[in-house]
Amino acid sequence: MWRLRWRRHRYRRQGRGDALASCWEAPLPKPRQPWHQQGYLVCDAEMSSLELEQGELLSLGWVAIDAGRIALSSATHCLIAAQDTVGQSAGIHQIRDCDLRQAGSEADAIEQLCLAARGRVLVFHHAPLDLAYLDRASQRCFAAPLLLPYIDTLALERQTLARQEGGPRPGQLTLAGSRQRYGLPDYPAHNALTDALATAELLLAIASHRGGVDRNGNCQPATLADLLRVR
Amino acid sequence: MDFVGQTLPFNELDESTLLRAAATLEVVYHRQGERLSPEDGGGLRIVRSGAIDLRDSQNKLLDRLGEGESFHLARLASAHEDSVSATVIEDALLYRLPDASYQQLRESHRGFDRYFHTQRSRRLRRAARYEPQPHAMAQAVESVMNQDLLTVAPDEAISAVAKSMSERRVSSAFVQDGETLLGIVTDRDLRERVLAAGRSPDSPVSDIMTRNLHGITAGASLFEAVLAMTRFACHHLPVMRDGSLCGVVTTSDLMLARQDDPVYLVQHISRQADVAGLQNLLEGVPQLVTQWVNAGIRARQVSRILTAISDAVTVRLLQLGEEQLGPPPVPYCWLGFGSQGRQEQLLGADQDNGMVLDDSAEPAHDPYFERLANFVCDGLDSCGYPYCNGQVMATNPQWRQPLKHWQEEVGRWSTSPTPDAVMRVSIFFDIRSVHGTSGLCQALQRTMLDTASRNSIFLAALAANALDGSPPLGIFRRFVVERDGQHRDSLDLKKHGVMLVTDIARLHALHHGIEAINTDERLQALERCGALAKVDARNLSDALHCLQRLRLQHQADLQLRGEPADNFLNIRKLSKMSREQLRDAFSIIHDAQNGVHQQYRQGLG
Repeated sequence: MWRLRWRRHRYRRQGRGDALASCWEAPLPKPRQPWHQQGYLVCDAEMSSLELEQGELLSLGWVAIDAGRIALSSATHCLIAAQDTVGQSAGIHQIRDCDLRQAGSEADAIEQLCLAARGRVLVFHHAPLDLAYLDRASQRCFAAPLLLPYIDTLALERQTLARQEGGPRPGQLTLAGSRQRYGLPDYPAHNALTDALATAELLLAIASHRGGVDRNGNCQPATLADLLRVR
Repeated sequence: MDFVGQTLPFNELDESTLLRAAATLEVVYHRQGERLSPEDGGGLRIVRSGAIDLRDSQNKLLDRLGEGESFHLARLASAHEDSVSATVIEDALLYRLPDASYQQLRESHRGFDRYFHTQRSRRLRRAARYEPQPHAMAQAVESVMNQDLLTVAPDEAISAVAKSMSERRVSSAFVQDGETLLGIVTDRDLRERVLAAGRSPDSPVSDIMTRNLHGITAGASLFEAVLAMTRFACHHLPVMRDGSLCGVVTTSDLMLARQDDPVYLVQHISRQADVAGLQNLLEGVPQLVTQWVNAGIRARQVSRILTAISDAVTVRLLQLGEEQLGPPPVPYCWLGFGSQGRQEQLLGADQDNGMVLDDSAEPAHDPYFERLANFVCDGLDSCGYPYCNGQVMATNPQWRQPLKHWQEEVGRWSTSPTPDAVMRVSIFFDIRSVHGTSGLCQALQRTMLDTASRNSIFLAALAANALDGSPPLGIFRRFVVERDGQHRDSLDLKKHGVMLVTDIARLHALHHGIEAINTDERLQALERCGALAKVDARNLSDALHCLQRLRLQHQADLQLRGEPADNFLNIRKLSKMSREQLRDAFSIIHDAQNGVHQQYRQGLG
């Protein structure tokens, strides 16, 4: 957490806009508390290319976890008006150019995300990719990267599988592959909101499995640190 | 969201309501072994994946829930009048609908509310009630009988009786000596036996009454009543319940119900001159059953009609046999066992029959009865009632004996209850006279009741038999199905369902000396004598009929596809509603088995 503070300090003077600043004002999470006492915002972004240089954000989806429960009322899906045409990625995300015409700007989306993320830990499945796009959007909008605490469920899963013999096999670390290991049902993939919800359910499963159940059937929850430790 | 939309009873909600409800949902994940209690969160929980066991404070399993099923702990607890806890038996993802939204949905949407109105037993009963209007001729006699009975003493003067009849505007009077029914006097008797015969109106009514009364049980169908009236050429039938008079049904009562196919079919059966004619006539029965099922005749009534048909075939075959072989040397009675005995036959039933001969029978008489039995059993087989695998047929000398031998055998069975003996008794106790001297059958049944009802060791053995199979409670998660042969992935509804109910009803009936044979009638009698709680008796009866209805529907489906009838239901093809009902039925049977265990096998393990 100290690193986050230090980096925020560097950007604080040049940063602009209230949304991110107010996010930074919220207290940072306490790693030793039980995981479910912390709020989370599980996000997923769809983009037109996996390469940051060529791609742009097409949509953002997120859903909040409070007290260890996903609140569907918090589910949000922001479509972003693309500068270029959607191109090849339409096949994957089922977002067509015509859908994007009713979409808002990237700046609107990132501002809304910041409002929702205040006081929460962000959660991604494969954080580096999503964060690269979000940080770029944040730079454009607030002249600073997001610099918010986050959890990467893919990293958590990689860590778990690395302890097993042979390490992870191809396909095991995808969202669908990870969900399967916890007996979670199949979802249609590649819509930012459904992927966010799917990731949120996966986080609940991972967190439950990092904790335990005592003999009386009471839950012994994991701490936040158990989920944050990996990077 | 799609998932919730497909889940009962959310599938009854329109899209905007569904979306509003979905917005209030919360998703939670529970590890195996976690225990949920009504305090944490509350509201309705829908199982998205995994499995949950519901248990009461005694840790008795109430239900096992899988994907798509829902529960509301606080409501279950108040309906069950006990605390209910939920244990996760397989990691579970649950959707929780907060109590406020749940209440709101129930208030604003009737179908949704109705679904949750009470716990499972009511749900099942409602499903039974929503069956379409029953076929007119299939209604029970008690639904049309006249209960306003005029009873008179045997020494009352004819004129006084006639006066009472006019005052009460009834066409018949029953002559009773205390509780004993002696006979009946009808309008026609007053005309024929008094006026036309020039008899004094002052003579006692017992002089003109008709003695040998042909009664009918309250649960019999109108169709059976018509048959009885035709057979005995009378217009009034006393209706009996538990051996005492409870009403009267007349030809005019029956006119209200339209005559229809089954009646004619049975009349045709009794007019056939040979086995080929019978065979020909019976080929159409599966087709008729399909029609009845589609027309909405209830399962219990279809099974009564089918039993009446097989009775008619048996009687006609016996008559034809006697014509060929000459009159029987000594009186006998043809017995129907099993489902025929209980009047619960469906399609594809095999024969279960036997014969009791009068005690005057000598070894020299046996060849006659053997030939008669062979004729009838062969005839039944060719008419679509296959031979019994277990050799429970009158052709088997073991099942064709004089009364006293039967009685000795019953004694032996009950003193040394080997599994074989218990199996025999469970067949044998569902016994009904189909043709011949019914007194023989009654004498035999009385012996069995007397011997068995006082013999607790025997009852315990019979209870063990009734507990032998358990209902496949977890069926929709772990497919407790036939593991081999052509019936993989399917559930034997007869073996794993219907038989369990009939076993339980038989055991209780035997213990309490109840003479009824039909499972419904047994349950009703048990309820009346206080041996079973009202709710338990009705639940079991509902469970039985739910199973019978599914069996019948399945048989009708097979018939439409041109396949022979069987009892193997492929549960993967069941509708969601049917699955729920089937599961409810199994839960009820499970509870009833627990009751049997407590009552008869306490301390026996």
